Amino acid sequence: MAPKGKTRILVGTRKGTYVIEGDARRKSWKIGPVAHAGYDIFHVVADPRHPGDLYAAVNSGFWGPAVHRSRNYGKTWKEVATPLTPSGKDRKPMFNDADPTTPVPRPLNNVWHLEPGLASQPGTVWLGGDPHLLFRSDDQGKSWNPIPAINEHPDRKNWGPGAGGACLHTILLDPRDPKRLYIGMSAVGTFRTEDAGSSWTPVNKGVMAPFLPNKYPETGQCVHHVAMDAANPDTFYRQDHGGMYVSHDRMNRWTRIGKPLGDDFGFSVTAPPGAPGKAYFVRLDGRARVTGEGHFQVEEWDDDRQTWKKLLSPKAFPGHYGVQREGIASDDRDPAGIYVGTTTGQLFLSPNAGKSWQLLPYQFPGIHSVSVSNL
Amino acid sequence: MIEVRLDSWLREFGPTGRQKLDADTVDHVLDALEAKYPRLKFKLRDETGQLRRYVRVFVDGEDVSTTTRGATVLDGARTIDIIHSIAGG
Repeated sequence: MAPKGKTRILVGTRKGTYVIEGDARRKSWKIGPVAHAGYDIFHVVADPRHPGDLYAAVNSGFWGPAVHRSRNYGKTWKEVATPLTPSGKDRKPMFNDADPTTPVPRPLNNVWHLEPGLASQPGTVWLGGDPHLLFRSDDQGKSWNPIPAINEHPDRKNWGPGAGGACLHTILLDPRDPKRLYIGMSAVGTFRTEDAGSSWTPVNKGVMAPFLPNKYPETGQCVHHVAMDAANPDTFYRQDHGGMYVSHDRMNRWTRIGKPLGDDFGFSVTAPPGAPGKAYFVRLDGRARVTGEGHFQVEEWDDDRQTWKKLLSPKAFPGHYGVQREGIASDDRDPAGIYVGTTTGQLFLSPNAGKSWQLLPYQFPGIHSVSVSNL
Repeated sequence: MIEVRLDSWLREFGPTGRQKLDADTVDHVLDALEAKYPRLKFKLRDETGQLRRYVRVFVDGEDVSTTTRGATVLDGARTIDIIHSIAGG
């Protein structure tokens, strides 16, 4: 993949949205549009089907959740429809964990993740929210349809929140088949659909839930994030509360790969298209939830060789850094660019698949999410 | 008529300053504001109709946000203040 046009790093922070613009060589960066002052931005993502379009998951402790869209790479934003839980006359409320037959309305707490659909579905956008909600829009966010097989799932009564809430935070689309999707939910686990969301199968076999009496339940694992291998969409890399895992069979079976690292806790993982067969994790101390060895580090997993490699010298960036579930991202170039945002507002980046790293000389608010647009 | 005084942060959703409204309850005030300024919908109350956690409503200076809330009757009341509470960091 040859260098293309601008690279934009889209950063969602505790206090707003930042667009960082880079040149084709990914060497020169400048802070571009800043928006959503004071809002908690859980995710910002570009829509590759419509150059210039960005979506943001905008949350506010005061005014609630909202979905915003930009048509000009973040220069201006507008609130579009937010998929609130239904309470209107024509739509019965749906939530009563104890008794789904007598639903009680429960509000949408936060919007967590926005996933533009495949190229063959130019209007489709998926959205994950709290409490464990999945929605689909087919008109670029102007309206949303709930996915009842998740939002009214009969096992919801057994679904509890993680520390970050009852978030549906991961949505992965199989590029070969628009009917096959995967989702990840905190303290519930991963599910797969083969029929565009009408039915879902829990796919957590082999993943340990160390916080439950039954260590290997069908559901209840606290998945933190999952990345799909772009070169092989049957392969997934998973950062779970219970460690780091890989699956080579569409999540039917997971194998723990993180044990050689010792504590393989963390929240984030990315699998760059420019580095097929490789995944990048930021390992954290399972108790402190920051990098545990006193420096910033990214671990590279080589799935062909089944080996780990540390990408940074311990002397490069000393300190204890937190990285959240959307805090690592990669671009689609070769060599792959890798980008990591921290809970204390640092943005680290590597333009060469981890061979060298730089710290962007700008202090952001605490970073929730990083994603990259190469359009 | 009751005078409704609005938090300046709410300007991004439409309303400004002070509004004069006819209403019997706090919920009626919020209904009228949302009808006039549709972008205000779901900002003060969530989709179940409950006041959001950090929205405070004062009727003649008394905080009703955690007591009678939206059902508060405005019998003879002269002012409502709708503001966001001290929160965040």
